[in-house]
Amino acid sequence: MKIELVGVKHTYDVEVLKDLNLILDGYHSVAIIGVSGSGKSTLIRLMSGLEKPTNGLIRVNSFHVDSEDYRKKIGFVFQNHNLFPHLTLKKNISLILEKTRGIEKAEAESIALKYLAMLHLEDQVNKLPKNVSGGQAQRASIARALSVNPDIIFLDEPTSSLDPILTHEVLTAVEELKGLGKDFIFVTHVMSFVRDFADYVIFMDQGEIVEMGDPSILDHPKSDALKAFISKVR
Amino acid sequence: MNNKTLAYILAILTILALVAFVVMRQVDGFSIQSFSPYRRLITTGIKNTIILSVVSLLGSLVLGFVFYLFSISKVKYLNAITDVFTEIIYGTPLLVLVVITAFLIGPAFGTFNRNAMGYLALIMYMTPYMKNVYQSAFSSISRDQYMTMDLFGFTPYQRYRYIIISQVIRILMPPMMNNFSLIIKGSALLNVLSYNEIYYAVRVAQSQTFAFVEGYILMWGLYLIITIPLSQLTKWIERKWAL
Repeated sequence: MKIELVGVKHTYDVEVLKDLNLILDGYHSVAIIGVSGSGKSTLIRLMSGLEKPTNGLIRVNSFHVDSEDYRKKIGFVFQNHNLFPHLTLKKNISLILEKTRGIEKAEAESIALKYLAMLHLEDQVNKLPKNVSGGQAQRASIARALSVNPDIIFLDEPTSSLDPILTHEVLTAVEELKGLGKDFIFVTHVMSFVRDFADYVIFMDQGEIVEMGDPSILDHPKSDALKAFISKVR
Repeated sequence: MNNKTLAYILAILTILALVAFVVMRQVDGFSIQSFSPYRRLITTGIKNTIILSVVSLLGSLVLGFVFYLFSISKVKYLNAITDVFTEIIYGTPLLVLVVITAFLIGPAFGTFNRNAMGYLALIMYMTPYMKNVYQSAFSSISRDQYMTMDLFGFTPYQRYRYIIISQVIRILMPPMMNNFSLIIKGSALLNVLSYNEIYYAVRVAQSQTFAFVEGYILMWGLYLIITIPLSQLTKWIERKWAL
């Protein structure tokens, strides 16, 4: 995939992203890391088009990220699964396919079942989100993101609300998706996952990109900020 | 029979015992049957109360939703209109609103149909309360869910139809029922427009039977006959739609 950031700034009450500029091409799995409040979640939301930057331009695969065409080509997995609580896991997927993608009901359901099975949830398809574990709900959310057949899947700290065992379960499921030919952009605190899964790493601190490169930057940090970060999360 | 049912039976018996006590303590006998010649008048009154209440409920549901949309609109003027209207209604007794709507506002717009204006007054009176019901119900849908709907490109209709309404109906029902019983009781005030609802019908009968207290007992019973099944129905709907 190709990512271009040109003069990207973002402000809520304070400036959370300070003039980011970046061109990346040819990577398939980009990790964004950093301490809480470093701006990484904001950056992934901007790159997915969920929020608009205060200033600057973002293009991914030559699409402006606020275009409708782009939105149809991405999937997004939130920190909390964000499944609709009143719908079963299957319906959470098939309803979206039916209503927003115009797919026939029977086909929508079979697509839903296919992706839920891919995430090892074939026994849970008729359960409501509240009746499955956090890890299962998060995997269903990944199945939902995949079901719209996106080119790029964004994962925004998908395991931050899970215990270590469920974290392992979810991240293993993500790693199994490598063969699907999708591109991934993700935020996580789990460094072993970054090392295994990412082919490019962006380290952010205080709203700026401080270091970036292949995952070996984690073993040879140059900046004090990354050194401090690695020593804490290892 | 479980404990809950038993508790309800006991509670109902307690109230009935109290009523029986009050009745037995009366020196004069009751003559509810003196109202039987007016059965047709009173039946029409019941029918009209129900029609008026249902129309007002539907009207205020729709107008309340419009005001809810105004209140969340980005247009500041619409927010302000909602606030000002709400404040005015909160401070206005329903009786005053009914009289002003029927005798001043209606004619100002060329309408002398007082019954229709009475309906309108009741609808306007309930609108801010309905708006509040929507506000509290819809705020229960998390920001994350709206973001998910954005992400997948739900249209506004699809958002409400498939995601929002089916979740909020459970939260919506109890306060909605509250409002509905406010409407039913409030409908009695349309008697000032000589609209033949329960209160008006019984009052007319009272003026001829001179059974003053009995008339009010009759009225009480008639309102309860309407409101109690309704609240049971609401509870049933709530259970049926519960998550």
